Amino acid sequence: MKKYLYIFQSELMTNLQYTFDILVGFVSYCIMIFIFLNLWQYIYSDPSEVIKGYTMNQMIWYVIVTEILWMSLGGRKLCKKICNDVRSGNITYNITKPYNYVEYSLFSHLGITTLKIFLITILGMLLGIVFLKEFPKLTILSVLGVLLSCALATTINIVLITIIGLISFFIEDANPFFWLYSKLILVVGTIFPIEFFPKAIQPIMKYSPIYVVSYGPAKLFVDFDTHRFIEIIIIQVIYLIIALLIAHLIYWKGVRKLNVNGG
Amino acid sequence: MLMEARNQIRVTRQSIQYALQREMLNKFTFVSNILFMIMNNACFIVQWLILYSLKDDVGGYTFKQVILLWGMASFTYGISRFFFRDSFELSETINSGKLDNYLVQPKNVLIQCITSSVEVSAIGDLIYGIIMLCLFEFSIKNLLLFLLCGVLGAFTIVSIAVIVASLSFWFGRTEVVANTVNGLMINFATYPEGIFKGFIKILFYTILPLGITAYVPIQVISHFEWIHILYLGIGTILFVTAAFLFFYRGLKRYSSSNLMNARI
Repeated sequence: MKKYLYIFQSELMTNLQYTFDILVGFVSYCIMIFIFLNLWQYIYSDPSEVIKGYTMNQMIWYVIVTEILWMSLGGRKLCKKICNDVRSGNITYNITKPYNYVEYSLFSHLGITTLKIFLITILGMLLGIVFLKEFPKLTILSVLGVLLSCALATTINIVLITIIGLISFFIEDANPFFWLYSKLILVVGTIFPIEFFPKAIQPIMKYSPIYVVSYGPAKLFVDFDTHRFIEIIIIQVIYLIIALLIAHLIYWKGVRKLNVNGG
Repeated sequence: MLMEARNQIRVTRQSIQYALQREMLNKFTFVSNILFMIMNNACFIVQWLILYSLKDDVGGYTFKQVILLWGMASFTYGISRFFFRDSFELSETINSGKLDNYLVQPKNVLIQCITSSVEVSAIGDLIYGIIMLCLFEFSIKNLLLFLLCGVLGAFTIVSIAVIVASLSFWFGRTEVVANTVNGLMINFATYPEGIFKGFIKILFYTILPLGITAYVPIQVISHFEWIHILYLGIGTILFVTAAFLFFYRGLKRYSSSNLMNARI
């Protein structure tokens, strides 16, 4: 575990050198929030209106949190990196080292994400307070609960994207699978809470990644409930264990059929 | 002059053709990239179905017009990414000294530089754009207008990408800025302009030319007026001219690297 913490720490330190890049990335986040602010203000003709159980402010806070989780992740980069590692044969350098590639990817990417998520969270909260002039009712304990759920959501997301990247062992380019995954999370999980979808598919969505990587933490933030918190955390932990098992399985299967030409 | 332009077009066509052949070496990846891009774009229909179940019009657009807006955004983006893919990597090309390769060629440096590779998945964007036009209302007139607006919009997107990337000549590493501006163009282009208010709308018709790439094309196809075509034409010429001016002004400041690499 110590070696993975070291990997996490060194990635975090490296990223501290690129704070400017992260700050420029803030512009994209602000733009997305600006677009959704305008969109929901248009949809809610009266700010006190309640649609599917959400007020306008709750909807915007929901999007602020889901966008923090998604935009700080840099999933496209992670998937591309793993695909390139496999395709170019660079992965052989990792195979020979005394660590597991799946855990290495997880901790290395957590190191990259940590600083971003911290800075974007500050920005997101500021934007929310400035535009909405209201903050969801949260106690210190519920804030800690939301943070735990967000941390688990990010970890699960990284493992799921690692699984997608590792598909490169079997087909040449796994990036198209990532496009579909990202759209699933963005369209279905980031913009709308599950309650906006037809009742018939809501139970199915509860078992999808959307529930654990975006809906869960955001719902806790806008409307915290202890019973719901326990339920979300249990599902997230189960999801994480299963995702890690699948990632290891794909990795070991893939490594066995790996052929690298020297050069 | 005419002969030179014809030669340039021939070389560009061949460059794109070879790049495409290279990408087609693996047929499965080639086809799957296109199909997945179509599916990827189609995901957003869900978003609009939900929004239109909440309200009858969004930003003054009907559901069909939003479908057309997405088709137009996808088509312009597809043209720009397929034919001019490297304009989105230009900043990195300048910073890493890879521009040397193009400087020694007896053809236009900028055009050679931005057309030397293709993005296969962009074919999916092009197909998706045409499908969306069919869902909106297919007619020969609409198709021709759609193609014209798509090409003009793509030239504008590429021009913006070149202008932003050319900042690297003066300020060094500006990849993040370039990526942000390029992302911004596509993010706004997929939402009806009616949801935005105030100052931002002025930006859409000036320095962030979403008017050319998205909003005016929708008006052109929905309610044709020559004045709109004129606006698109003049706007595109201005942005293309500005792109060439920026790039060649910056090129004077370019200092070569000793990077040794081969273009295959």
